[in-house]
Order: sequence, then structure tokens, then C-alpha cells
Amino acid sequence: MRQSLEELIECYQKSLYAAAFHICKNAEDANDVVQDTFVQYYTTKKQFHDEEHLKAWLLRVAINRAKDISRSFWRKNKIALDDYINEIPFESREEYELFETVMKLPEKYRNVIHLYYYEDLSIKEIAEILRITEGNVKMRLSRGRSFLRDVFKEEGS
Amino acid sequence: MTDKEQYKRMFDTVASFGMEPLEVCDIMKKRKKHTYMNKAAAAAAAVFLIAGSTGVAYAANVGGIQRTIQLWIHGDQTNAELVIDETGSYDVTYQSENGSTETLSGGGVAIESDGSERALTEEEIMEELSMPDVEYEDDGTVWVYYYDQKMNVTDSFEDGVCYVKLVHGEETLYMTIKYDNGYSISPDKYPDPKSFN
Repeated sequence: MRQSLEELIECYQKSLYAAAFHICKNAEDANDVVQDTFVQYYTTKKQFHDEEHLKAWLLRVAINRAKDISRSFWRKNKIALDDYINEIPFESREEYELFETVMKLPEKYRNVIHLYYYEDLSIKEIAEILRITEGNVKMRLSRGRSFLRDVFKEEGS
Repeated sequence: MTDKEQYKRMFDTVASFGMEPLEVCDIMKKRKKHTYMNKAAAAAAAVFLIAGSTGVAYAANVGGIQRTIQLWIHGDQTNAELVIDETGSYDVTYQSENGSTETLSGGGVAIESDGSERALTEEEIMEELSMPDVEYEDDGTVWVYYYDQKMNVTDSFEDGVCYVKLVHGEETLYMTIKYDNGYSISPDKYPDPKSFN
């Protein structure tokens, strides 16, 4: 299956932006990653089995591209995350603290945490996207959650 | 509220704040030099571009490659700086007609026939940069650029599809353009409009 670019933008732009942002840590690069990912989709002739397959592929391309950009030696000077955080209109102090804590996590934990919490992906799906073992995903998820324990104000699960 | 709900709400706020509105035409513009070309045509184009390179400097200190190349932009040849990093991502910087510095970026990963991913090679990047380009101007006109050729194809569309034959030296390419919806290129025949996007 293939979807039109209009449909992709509608369905996946926010997911890809969020996935890219948590790696790049700035909006400009994250927006670039989203565009690059759609360009990559448009360029490839790959067929997808279903929507889950397509979404996993898009997330993998976006994450890889975000890593590329983050590690590029010519990466432009961007606005510092500390300054940027203060501009984001979080609804509460808790949201602000959660974001701040997540962004301070080592990248390998942050990736897994994001895909689990934001994308609702299973351990297996995360392992496939990040090309790591399921055991590794569980370990990173467990350690990542331990960092976040204090900032989650759970009422339910 | 569960931890997942908290996390989602928090990142929804981040996305709503920083995410730029995106339309298909933005992707098409960025795509510029990214399109499909089969190996035979690509090899010919790569030879042309490599022969046109004016200097090579391997930037060992940064783990990538930096070189000056001759790039065709809107039918005019201009010097450009090509920088490729170790992951296959590249930036091409050149002076535009109005004197501003412009940068084309691309690369990242290529998809193998078995679905696996790898970084683009330098040769593949040079191939990308030599490909024809389609641009939609604000006045509604549609232009095809290929080496020193620039063609106004605005009136050539029928039912939203336009067919363009491109010749450069001994190389002939057949291009099918769907208005505002992408294009495809083949060295053998005009690609079926249903076969892409």
C-alpha cells in the first residue's frame, strides 16, 4: 500500500515532529527532519503491508535522520533548549518539569520512552524500529522510567 | 491521569508550539534533486558531474568529504560547495541569482531492495544532484530544469499530466509529471502516472 503525501502529512506529521524533536532538541531541525522523511517516502518505491508497517518505517527514517542531523559537524547554532523551554506554553508546572526531565535523559532511554509513551508502540515494535533486541528495549524502558518516576504524577496506572 | 496521558499531552503542547504547517508543495520544493533514476542513466550523469568537479578536499578532520562542484541551478551553471558527512547526509551551498546563499540538503538513508537501510554513497549523492527538477512558480507556471535547459511546461498538461523528453548529450530521459503531485523519470519510456505517488 501507498498513501498520498496529503494523507501522510495529515496522519503522521505530528508524530514525526515529536520523534524528531526529542532527538534534535530544537524545532527548526525537527521540522527539517519531517520534510526529509516525507521526501524519503516520496523517493522510495517501497510498498507497505499496512498502516503499522508504514508508520514504523516513517518513524525509523525520521529517527535516523534526526540522529544524522544531531551529529552533523556543520549543525548550525540553534536556540538553546533551556531558552526554548521557557517559550513553550505548557499548561502546568508538572508538564514543564516532565519535559525538562525527559530531555535530560540519555538519548537511548529517551528514544524508547518516547515511542512507548507517545506512540503507544509495543516492545516488539520499538525493537524493530530502533533495530535493537526486545530485551534491550525492556531494559532501557525500565531505566528510563526510573528517571521519570518522580515527575509522573499518576492517578491511574 | 495516567503517565502516558501526561506524556502525550506534554508532547502535544511541544508539537503544537514548534511544528510548522506543511503542504505537499513544500515537500516537492525540498525534494528538488531527489528522484528516481535507473542505474544506466545515473551512471552517465555521474560521469558528467565528476568530470565537472573542480577540486577535491577530503576533510579528514570532520570525518566527511568537502569539494567544489559545478551545479546546474535553474539552467545556469554555478560553483557550489558539497559537504558529505560520514552518514551520507550532504549539504550543497551556492550563491543564488540574487546573491543570497542557498543550501540544498539531502541524503541520509537509501533503501535496498531487501528493505534494509544504508547511508548514501558519494556517487549516489552526485547522481541525485544531476537529476532533472520541476518547480512551480508563484505565478502558476511550471518549469522543468535539466542541466542548461529550462522549459516552461505549463501549457503541456492534459488531465493534470505532462510528458517531457529530456536530452543531454547521448542521454535521453522520459519524464512524467503529475501537476503538483510529483514526477517520475525513466531512460526507457514515459513512466505510467499511476505508478508513482
